[in-house]
Amino acid sequence: MAHDLADILIIGAGASGAAVAWRLSDAGLRIVCLEQGRWHKPGEYSTSFPDWEFRGATSFSFNPNVRALPEDYPVDDTGSDVTPLMFNAVGGSTVHWTAHAPRFHPSDFRVRSQDGVADDWPLSYFDLEPYYDLNDQWMGCSGTAGDPANPPRAPRPMPSLPLGPDGERLARGFDSLGWHWWPSDSYINSVPYRGRAACNNCGPNGLGCTVQAKASTDVTYWPAAIANGVELRTKARVFEVTTDATTGRATGARYFDADGNVQFQPARVVVVATNGIGTPRLLLLSKSERHPNGLANSSGLLGRNLMFHPCAAITGFFSDGLDPTYRGPLGNILLSQEFYETDSARGFVRGYTFQMNRSTGPARTAMGFTMAPVAWGERHHADFAMRFGNSTTVIALGEDLPEEHNRVELSESLTDSNGIAAPKVSYRLSENSARMMAHACRQAETVLDAAGAHTVKATVQLRPSGWHLMGTARMGDDPRRSVVDHSCRAHDVDNLYVVDGSVFVTGASVNPTPTLQAIALRAADHIRKAHNR
Amino acid sequence: MTNPPMTDTQMTILSGAMDRLVPPIDDLPGAGAMGLAPEVDSLARRHAPYHHAVVIFIEKLASTWSAGLLPAQQDALLRDLEAADGAAFNAVLELVYLAYYSEPRVHRRVGWRGGPLQPEGFPLAPFDPAILQATRQRKPFWRQT
Repeated sequence: MAHDLADILIIGAGASGAAVAWRLSDAGLRIVCLEQGRWHKPGEYSTSFPDWEFRGATSFSFNPNVRALPEDYPVDDTGSDVTPLMFNAVGGSTVHWTAHAPRFHPSDFRVRSQDGVADDWPLSYFDLEPYYDLNDQWMGCSGTAGDPANPPRAPRPMPSLPLGPDGERLARGFDSLGWHWWPSDSYINSVPYRGRAACNNCGPNGLGCTVQAKASTDVTYWPAAIANGVELRTKARVFEVTTDATTGRATGARYFDADGNVQFQPARVVVVATNGIGTPRLLLLSKSERHPNGLANSSGLLGRNLMFHPCAAITGFFSDGLDPTYRGPLGNILLSQEFYETDSARGFVRGYTFQMNRSTGPARTAMGFTMAPVAWGERHHADFAMRFGNSTTVIALGEDLPEEHNRVELSESLTDSNGIAAPKVSYRLSENSARMMAHACRQAETVLDAAGAHTVKATVQLRPSGWHLMGTARMGDDPRRSVVDHSCRAHDVDNLYVVDGSVFVTGASVNPTPTLQAIALRAADHIRKAHNR
Repeated sequence: MTNPPMTDTQMTILSGAMDRLVPPIDDLPGAGAMGLAPEVDSLARRHAPYHHAVVIFIEKLASTWSAGLLPAQQDALLRDLEAADGAAFNAVLELVYLAYYSEPRVHRRVGWRGGPLQPEGFPLAPFDPAILQATRQRKPFWRQT
């Protein structure tokens, strides 16, 4: 079945799809968004139920291979050092994220020029700055001005979230070493904001937010976009961006609806926003005679240069009367960018950010979370007591460098529930990243010691850490070395845009969502100009 | 297809193993003696990979496990299973922890409030910017381009 022609077809209703939909929604265009997931009501989230820890480990897991819900597609990650994580719903992975909102630094866009590795971006921090500011307003940023590690910026609309006794303890540890730290910028309300409640410190903000204090795009951009007339069609699994056989231009998309029927949505412009694994999968699936290696893949780089963030988890154990460390948002407390930039004396290029994570509920504590499970047998109760409510974790998030052998392809054996080829991820941690994480573990141990930990344990590479999916449709000025241009328009197809983390040239060492949303907002303005709106 | 509940024999093996995985402490019996094996079975039947793991776990213990063995001998069997089939063992360990640490008697012992986290949450004092005094004295050090 074919639908009426849309001016803009957006594929994916997550972080960036929502932002681009809202930004275009007052331009008098007919906009349709296709999303394979569904709406989630806040009352459905795990934390509203007594068995929230079981739900968090199963039907609401971060890992699509564990959830295996009808709207999920499996990911073949047997060849990857990192497990990819994502959520398929209106709001996408913002339903599931911890809502960290740090920005890239200006230097992150000039890695080749400054450090001689990877590539420069075809845009700068300052090109994105107004869009970062706009996004902070819409998502709702809690934070504090004056961080010496970052350029000055507009005031955040809300003050920082509480540090809590555990955060204050760690902050004093950083202070005692003379190391940088700053309260995290968070897309979590510290006070009521735009009709959403303030955070009540329940803890596992990665499991959906019942009170809507955490920003996810289903409660930020989407209501405004829909009010402006955008049509959001859920349970619509796109499997092909269609193209004209003569011109090669995009003509729309074919998808399976909730009943398994194939539908066609024609469009003048197609915007793909399905992130660093979904986007190359879809464009590789969209090959044709005109685009034999996949759509927008004349460079051969579609799916290549996959970046995660190398991630180490270093946990300190305390025994001197801290309040229980499971009170407060799990991961939005403070960060340190003392080791953010390249220092050749350290033995690796680029750097990392430290972020503080709290502990969590009793079952998830026992199951391990960021470390091995609590010991079974005679040591069980002592091991549990040492961890539960008495531990604080420093997460080291390192900058991954793009490497062509790290990639997303189509699986030859694994399919989703509609029989569409699943993505196959090949990823190996580089030697540079391994040296970086080893350094980070040593420094984290130092700061946890300074904060008074009696014991420190490190997980040097946390495998289930693949939230940040970047680089697989990179932007650039040279069509031989990139998939899209600085405005996110595909070099090969002038009415096809990619607006998610796959366009990243490099990954910095911070959470990518504010940056990919700023890029999406900026791309929307380019699309408006191209359509004289 | 719905998975059938465990048989009594399977339940006895699981319960015995659970007592070794999470042994007694203070006035609490081990996880098996607390009567949590049916809860593990119930949780497993809600999530197919867990159920599959429990089936393997019990199947592999069935020929050697006995309530008459010494605790050290039972622990050795569990260690052998952990080494031979770590994935199934770890999945069952997760289930046992999920069941044990959802139990109100255990919550009371470890000081956990229990129940859903929402809508109550936890109180925390608001952020006090005074704690930034030391960092604020530092000159901007972000790298210029």
